[in-house]
Amino acid sequence: MNADLAASPAPRHHVIIGNGVAGNQAAELLRDRDPESRVTILTHSRLLFYNRYRLPRIFQDVTSWPELLALPPEHYAARRIHVRRECRVSAVDPRNRLVKLAHNETIPYDTLLVATGGRGHLPEELAEYRPLFHHFGSYEAAMATRRALPDRGAVVMLGGDMIGLDLARTLLAIQCRVILVTHETTFWPHALTPEERAEALSTLETMGIEVIDGDARGGIVAVEQGAPGLPARRVRFHNGGDLYGDVVMPCFGLTPMVEFMVGTGIDIERGVLVNPQLRTSDPCIFAAGDVCQIWSEEERAYRFYYGYRNVRAMGAVAAVNMTGGQEAFATTRAESIGRDAQGRIDSSFWVYEA
Amino acid sequence: MSKTDIQIAICGSAGDGTIAAGDILRNAVAAAGYRVIGFDVYPPEIRGFGKCISRLRITTDQSYSLKRHSDVLLSLDDSQALPHAGEVRDMGALIFESQPIAPCLEGEHMSARVLPGQIPYGFPMRELSQQATGGGRSRNLVALGIIAGLLGLLPDPFRKIIARKFGKQGPEIVARSLAGFQAGFEDASRTFKLDDVVFAPIGPREPSGRVIMLSGNAAVARGCLDAELDTFFGYPITPATSIMERLATELPKRGRRLLQTEDEIAAIAATIGAGYAGARAATATSGPGLALMSEMLGLATITETPCVVFVSQRGGPSTGMPTKTEQSDLNAALYGSPGDGQRIVIAPTNVEGCYRCAGKAFEMAERYQTPVIVLLDLYLSNRYETVTLEESGHAFVLDANKPLPRLEPGETYRRYALTEDGVSPRAVPGDADHMHVITGLEHNELGRPDDSESMHAAMSRKRHDKLQAALCHPDFAVTRRFGASGRVKVGLLAWGSTFGECLEAVFMAQALDIPCAALKVVMLSPFPAQAVAAFMDDCDQVLVPEVNYEGQFAQLVQGVLARPVTRLSRVPGSPMPVEQILDEIRRLARG
Repeated sequence: MNADLAASPAPRHHVIIGNGVAGNQAAELLRDRDPESRVTILTHSRLLFYNRYRLPRIFQDVTSWPELLALPPEHYAARRIHVRRECRVSAVDPRNRLVKLAHNETIPYDTLLVATGGRGHLPEELAEYRPLFHHFGSYEAAMATRRALPDRGAVVMLGGDMIGLDLARTLLAIQCRVILVTHETTFWPHALTPEERAEALSTLETMGIEVIDGDARGGIVAVEQGAPGLPARRVRFHNGGDLYGDVVMPCFGLTPMVEFMVGTGIDIERGVLVNPQLRTSDPCIFAAGDVCQIWSEEERAYRFYYGYRNVRAMGAVAAVNMTGGQEAFATTRAESIGRDAQGRIDSSFWVYEA
Repeated sequence: MSKTDIQIAICGSAGDGTIAAGDILRNAVAAAGYRVIGFDVYPPEIRGFGKCISRLRITTDQSYSLKRHSDVLLSLDDSQALPHAGEVRDMGALIFESQPIAPCLEGEHMSARVLPGQIPYGFPMRELSQQATGGGRSRNLVALGIIAGLLGLLPDPFRKIIARKFGKQGPEIVARSLAGFQAGFEDASRTFKLDDVVFAPIGPREPSGRVIMLSGNAAVARGCLDAELDTFFGYPITPATSIMERLATELPKRGRRLLQTEDEIAAIAATIGAGYAGARAATATSGPGLALMSEMLGLATITETPCVVFVSQRGGPSTGMPTKTEQSDLNAALYGSPGDGQRIVIAPTNVEGCYRCAGKAFEMAERYQTPVIVLLDLYLSNRYETVTLEESGHAFVLDANKPLPRLEPGETYRRYALTEDGVSPRAVPGDADHMHVITGLEHNELGRPDDSESMHAAMSRKRHDKLQAALCHPDFAVTRRFGASGRVKVGLLAWGSTFGECLEAVFMAQALDIPCAALKVVMLSPFPAQAVAAFMDDCDQVLVPEVNYEGQFAQLVQGVLARPVTRLSRVPGSPMPVEQILDEIRRLARG
């Protein structure tokens, strides 16, 4: 066991910031590996861990959030995992091993796992239109979008990352019109060659998605409220040719949520930098999931790993190492994009196992 | 149509405006057409610290008690509210301050106590108040706005009641208060609702009377006024004080009198004096005051002077627990004076009953020429309910005195004439030709001292027997049966405020197919032995739930009827939980 960790008197307090796949996977393993410890998950969400991979279903047959919960509420009491909801972390104090919450509460920890994931990225030039966009990053946001979308309505999807394209499949299934405005982040997190990209875009069109070349239109110049009698939103391009939609969704990939880590002395690039054991530059602080960049010996660089399987594996590795292990994260998934048997886009990013 | 059954608790420290917020909330939902039962718990200290909780249950149809679990808890001060987080049911809402000023250690913020099944809502109540009103004092109104916004309640009834409540403090305060409410309302209206606490719309109601919100003590005061109380004497004591406070405002408007005396002995003495003079007179007190009044009550008994004493019970003995409820003054009310101190004791079971019993008490006091004790308790005194009053006001008998017969020439007026019904014609000072002696000594028919064996026996019998007629007092139900008719497995004998919990428990037991009924016993002295015995004949088991340690009512029943009952006597300082009664019913039903 690491000397810093071993020095902590039992029972130790493992604190996890983030209530997603990585955080919850880590919590389960921490409970198993360190039965006497306290395990606390901190999240700004009002909901317990729910299955974000199933969020598109709220446009189909899921009518309430309890149907999305990954685990029943009783599970947390039975497993002695304390989920602190409505808690926004404002800072971390590694020297005193304290997490500071926005409501002025301080939480001492012995080991800390940062698993805050990412939020939807919005290019700077579109930031001023934020209030006019419809989002999909949480149950509440997805429901608000659902409510704004009429039956067989039109969705303008800007960017078209794999999260958005996953939703697009559902929208097509319920006979909505999906208009994709391409961007360099289309198919994020997959990095495609021009040929692969062209083929994938062609496949999207085959599936029924209307593909608009964003670059050819000179990029978006404005997003506006639709005029009376027209759909609720209008997207305007530099080179003309307005698009109308009932909802406009920015789908430009994710930005790691690391603001509260700034000033801690922990190494941060775009995400929190960790070694293959997912340890940060502070021996008691770990990071897992979409928030961290892991050192790849092979590529000699820090890089992100996305997708359910990767993120869950990171949670497990972090838990092992937070309890004295020395396991290294290794991705087992080829990050591929292709077609399924019906000729539709398929991606390793969409693989989910309940 | 679906029905509403929502319990909301607001918890804070004294000075946070917790009780005021509860008051506005219950009046607003009542104005919207819902039925409400509310109960406030506050500390014995005057101000500055101590816990305040205002709980209210809002229903489509009449309910009879608070629920064990609230659907919503709003914390104005986490240091007070933390222990109550667990009272919120699964899928219920916990609302708290998201940006408290003071730093706190781990676990001292409400978010630490939210259970997995509950839904947390943090709102920056202080900041919203600051922005909207320039200060943090309107946090409680921001909180009300949050409740209204989150639960989808219309804001207009709140606005009207806020304007009315703060109207006396001037337009600036009203505007500030409304701004605080609006800030909370708007913020909560934008919040995505995740709990399942939903108000069902109110359908049209049959206009069967005027629905108003009253506390038990307010209902007592209203009953007194509608019965044309002439004069009230009192000395402040929790939880009876608000009866006097209300009457102090209302009686002078009607040209009637109220005097705060130097103590409870003076209060009862003055009440008896006013009664002797022919006025409708009353006083109000609690257990310790009743103890001081006990000797004078004996004077009222032996002089056969009408007077009414409202006794609101609290935890005892001695100073005890002034702000906690209990039903432990029953023995003191029944027996608390020297000698055979017969009197009438009645105990309402809900707020509407407080009104009726108050008015009827004056009728009984006059008709039977005796002290009448109306036995309330803190839970009933401070409980708020929507009650339906007849548009024309209740028709209490405003003069229930036995007519004074014209004397034949040479005939001597016999104040204590031994009559068939035991009630003698009563003259008051000023009635020509009816001069008589009044004394605390045993006396003869003329009122003159007489301690002979025969006279003492005759007068004792007279004072006792005349009260039996009260069991058939017109337009007054001394007992009433609820629940299943015919033979039942378990029958509940209940009195006072605990009856509401008993009735809820009976309904729940019936839903579990347990044949069950409850007998509400309103008149405790004289004891309605026949009615109680008839009810017990129908029951395999008889359960007597009451909030005192010794089972005082159970003792009364057993003493009179010599039949076994099962006691459920608890002294939690709070109303007996319905579930506790239900558990006992189930246990007894299993045999």
